Amino acid sequence: MFVRIEVAQHPEFADPMANAAMRRLALAHPELRKKVRWARWLDVYWFDFPLSREEMIPALTEVFWDRVLQWVITGNLIPSAAGKHGSILDLMEAAPHRPGKFWALERRFRPGVTDNVAHTAMQAIEIVTGRKFPEARVASGSLLVLEGPQLDEDALATVARDILCNELIETWTLYSEAEMVKSDRFHQERIKRDLPRLMIRGSDRVETHALSGMSQDQLLDLSRRNLWALNPAEMQAVQSHFASPEVVERRRTMGLGDPTDVELEVIAQTWSEHCKHKIFGAEIEYREQDPLAGGPEIPSSIQGLFRETIAGTTAEIPRPWLLSVFSDNAGIVAFDEEHAFCIKVETHNSPSALDPYGGALTGIVGVNRDILGCGLGAKPIFNTNVFCTAPIDYSSPLPDRLLHPRRILEGVRRGVEHGGNKSGIPTVNGALVFDDRYLGKPLVYCGTGGFMPRVSAGRTCQTKEILPGDRICMVGGRIGKDGIHGATFSSLALDDASPSSAVQLGDPMTQKRAADFLLEARDMGLYRAITDNGAGGLSSSVGELARLSGGARMDVSRAKTKYAGLRPYELVVSESQERMTVAVAPEKLPLFLALAERRGVEVSDLGDFTSSGFFEVFHGERRVATLDLQFLHEGCPRLKLEAEWRGRPELPPTQATASFSREGAEVLQTLLGRPNLASKEWMIRQYDHEVQGTSVIKPLQHSNPGGSQSSVGPNDGAVIKPKPGSPSGIAVGCGINPKYSDWDPYLMAQMAVDEAIRNTVAVGGEFGSPDSVFALVDNFCWPDPVGDKDKAAALVRACFGMRQAALEVSAPFVSGKDSMKNDYRGRLDGAEVKISVPPTLLVTAVAKVPDVRLARSSEFKLTGDAIYLLGGECLGLVGSELHAVRGATVPGPRARLPEPRWDSARRIYSWLGFAQGKEQGRLRSVHDVSDGGILAAVAESCLARGFGASIQTEEEPWEFYFGEGFHSFVVTVSEPDSALLEAEWTALGLPWRKLGTVTNTDRLEARFAQPTGESGGISVEVRALRSAWRKEGYWE
Amino acid sequence: MIGGKKPRVLVITGDGINCEQETAQAFTQAGFDSEIRHLNDLVAEQFSLDQLSARYQTLALPGGFSFADDLGSGKVLALKLIHGLGWDLNAYAARGGLVIGICNGFQALIRMGVFGKDVSITHNSHGKFQDTWVKVNPSGTRCAWLRGIGSMDLPIRHGEGRLVIASFRRREVLAKMERHGMMCLRYEGDPNGSEERLAGLCDPTGRIFGLMPHPEAFVRWTAHPEWTLQPSRANAPGQGLALFENAYQEARRVL
Repeated sequence: MFVRIEVAQHPEFADPMANAAMRRLALAHPELRKKVRWARWLDVYWFDFPLSREEMIPALTEVFWDRVLQWVITGNLIPSAAGKHGSILDLMEAAPHRPGKFWALERRFRPGVTDNVAHTAMQAIEIVTGRKFPEARVASGSLLVLEGPQLDEDALATVARDILCNELIETWTLYSEAEMVKSDRFHQERIKRDLPRLMIRGSDRVETHALSGMSQDQLLDLSRRNLWALNPAEMQAVQSHFASPEVVERRRTMGLGDPTDVELEVIAQTWSEHCKHKIFGAEIEYREQDPLAGGPEIPSSIQGLFRETIAGTTAEIPRPWLLSVFSDNAGIVAFDEEHAFCIKVETHNSPSALDPYGGALTGIVGVNRDILGCGLGAKPIFNTNVFCTAPIDYSSPLPDRLLHPRRILEGVRRGVEHGGNKSGIPTVNGALVFDDRYLGKPLVYCGTGGFMPRVSAGRTCQTKEILPGDRICMVGGRIGKDGIHGATFSSLALDDASPSSAVQLGDPMTQKRAADFLLEARDMGLYRAITDNGAGGLSSSVGELARLSGGARMDVSRAKTKYAGLRPYELVVSESQERMTVAVAPEKLPLFLALAERRGVEVSDLGDFTSSGFFEVFHGERRVATLDLQFLHEGCPRLKLEAEWRGRPELPPTQATASFSREGAEVLQTLLGRPNLASKEWMIRQYDHEVQGTSVIKPLQHSNPGGSQSSVGPNDGAVIKPKPGSPSGIAVGCGINPKYSDWDPYLMAQMAVDEAIRNTVAVGGEFGSPDSVFALVDNFCWPDPVGDKDKAAALVRACFGMRQAALEVSAPFVSGKDSMKNDYRGRLDGAEVKISVPPTLLVTAVAKVPDVRLARSSEFKLTGDAIYLLGGECLGLVGSELHAVRGATVPGPRARLPEPRWDSARRIYSWLGFAQGKEQGRLRSVHDVSDGGILAAVAESCLARGFGASIQTEEEPWEFYFGEGFHSFVVTVSEPDSALLEAEWTALGLPWRKLGTVTNTDRLEARFAQPTGESGGISVEVRALRSAWRKEGYWE
Repeated sequence: MIGGKKPRVLVITGDGINCEQETAQAFTQAGFDSEIRHLNDLVAEQFSLDQLSARYQTLALPGGFSFADDLGSGKVLALKLIHGLGWDLNAYAARGGLVIGICNGFQALIRMGVFGKDVSITHNSHGKFQDTWVKVNPSGTRCAWLRGIGSMDLPIRHGEGRLVIASFRRREVLAKMERHGMMCLRYEGDPNGSEERLAGLCDPTGRIFGLMPHPEAFVRWTAHPEWTLQPSRANAPGQGLALFENAYQEARRVL
């Protein structure tokens, strides 16, 4: 029978879901929020179950009705389930204003969109009835009931579109009061109509494309129509491959003629920018219009940025603890003799622009799969996330199809929350960066660290091996139409024709089950190799693994699907989530399948790995693709790029009359309240950052937790302790400074590397000796450099800046990823608009912490402690947060960009990283100097415990206190220890100076007395600083 | 130790439970032999209450996101425990067994009706998932797990931690729970709008205990948010360990 159930909170209880929706409404449309006097949220379920009324009633009652908490409204299936009317009238009568004017908005998924709640509801009914219902259908949705005399249809449509639904994946229906109280929506026929049913005209059609004889235009048109994102040279390479007599003849013997759509799709996926990183492999001609005096030497002819500046950099820093770099889904480094840890950071920008929640959710569970599929499989032990969006108080008109940045941020935040929390992986580190130019495409970086034994079931865990004859098994989720063309789509600019099939929702529960199963199977030695199904689906995962044995042969009709009717090419390239591909030795297959069955995990046995040299795909008996592996992986023609750098822009004028004493206090508060600096507590607390019980240093430093004097401040990085029997830990930090791209991407990249190192050594990561386990990960998010000399030059400079910084401090890269098409092309009021992100490099650093008892937090700890500055040699105001606030000028006498001093950097980092000296354990607090400069760092260190500070300098105060730059830290030491530490710093050649003292005054005092005789200072209440930093009411 | 035997704890996992390892580790640290078993294996074996009582002195339902919290946190896990295993936990306790449900495990115990039909748990009043440390205070002497324990700092990490009591007979239910010593753990502040600031409940025997905070996440001092203030205590155990040690003493007594 067909059933509709609406579940409401009993009116006696508050309704947090409705309240949360109203908070979001208040932020997006304050004037509309005022019109809503009352709101309630109901969960709605639609069922089509082959059960009688008598069977259905007890099952539904047991599953859906919590009598303490809820009313359920079912038409009149369960008559006593609400108040006296047994209908929604009961709920309306509980509203404070009666008679009122009521409306309801119903939200449903579009057909084919992943509906996890419905999936769980199905399992629940199967549990309570003890039966399976393969033919049953369930859908979930919600009903938001609103009351307000000023509400009208337009207002409700705005609520539906901006608060309730993403119309790409969801639809909504508006009910007037009269329609609500009628029970039409519970009628059998109506429910049948409302239950989404995917109408797919079943087809196993395979098309062929006669490429021979096609002109370049025709080839390009074909590529464009099919969303292959292949350029003319690539299409021609494909054309001539299939035209070669040898290939033609071989294909003839196999019964193949012109290339099939399956083959062309596989090539397009494998050669996509997303998978192949063609730009990083490109041959580049680089020129400088206006070379920088004393600037870096960058070669004019570059044979691949990846090879020369990333892998090449690591090759120059060989370390025995580097177990696997750039060859697997993640970089792997040794933790100790028994264990290794791995790290990968991904981006999910394009999907997040269309559906922020789904995009970030699939981003985080996707990078979790990279870890699960790295080596023989690792357990994810932490997540990181970095989001770049336009400011969330953006108030100008939005170009077509773009979502408001507030909505983007809330969506991606919720995606990471659900992806991490529901998978039991702590989200320990991240950053938020705001810039108007992220309006067109937000950047969503998701990272994961993993932990693995170095030997598992007798095999070295960091390597993969496949023998011909091993079975190809797809594990976890099923294949659907969702996610078709994700890889090629992300290799194109976002425009208003972007396909909604590129949007997916993740299912963390299915993946968690699969992950638990796979780690168990790994330890039992049940499979030989593993990789994830990400971009490109089976075409990439099987196509890549096939290189290990030298071939693969699979029958995609054996793959489990979400629904019938998928075409062979769709089965091969769909990026449906939660899937891993493993190679299973034939003799282990029965055990592997039996364990999967016991764990409730689905496996499709698709075929076997071979040594034929071909990637062969069948659909049943029919051969639908046979591709030469050599051509598939090596046949993509090399891209050529031109790059020309115009030189650094002219530095801004100074404003010498600005008075630090008069303006400094207000400037400091303004800076602390800038979204880039302000507290991210609202976000961090919604992530479980402590699950797995490994937390040592948390993202927020929290004093008096649970008490009335509770307060927080920021920490620089995170430390976890992943192994119960070992005192060692892992530190993670990140660096991202896109604001310097406008001055010089070379500098920007150096700063990203430096900041990542600062954040990681600050909390206790080891650094500085060849044995110090310290590794970097690069993630480039660029506006398209193809055909744009400026953007290509920015990329070249960033790569060389990154390389130089890493070499200076001997920090190898172990993994990386790039996203090169972060541009939006669309319309605003009919006019064409193009928005490109600023060149953005995220560097993530991971390090071993030799003993977590040496880990450090950022807050001032005791009154009377001495405050020191380590580093601080060449900070600059140009490009700083203060500069951004001032706009055209910088205050004070000096406008300069920061510069690195690598010799100082090595000394400071080696000392903080335990490679030099022996008194580090006496440090009471360490906080790095970044956005907002030294004064912001001191202020932040005051926040967590509410201490004050009194500091002074003999330098010019604007640049000293607010300048930003490289390798600087604010540290504290107890007064008795200070002589010892000063002696050690001096002996080791660290640049240091005393800034002042921690006080118990609730005031931050910053004075200056220059040798010129100028002096002055500011004094500001820490309470006021905290209030500026918390920025309440700004965030959701 | 009697006959050199360690008490054994069964830590259940599967279906999205995700704190099984640190929970087992906490029990091990307290002296237990910890066994993590997948719920599906127990269901497939039809592992009976008799077998449970014979083999394990303690049962733990760890934290996590079983069934993704869909249809209400712990709800479907509770249905699976009821229909798949049918263990009568009151009978298990009567035979000397100890039970703990942490966070999602506590939510499942509530939905199984272990603490009566008039108690439920739902979304925090602020509507958000929240990871923060809180102070909790044991009250009364009934709960075997909290014996001798004073105020503790522990992390909470949940979106649905607001205990609610059937509104139409709230006073009566609270009085009864008070009488039976069930309201055994309270927050010092009010992090989630929970009735009576309740952070945990026990059954009238005091042997079945559930709580929203995570004691297994504070078994070493370096997990505390303020540990860097007193690095000299870095080797100390965390306050949460005392719960598992209480269970150890109690389980050893009945072994």
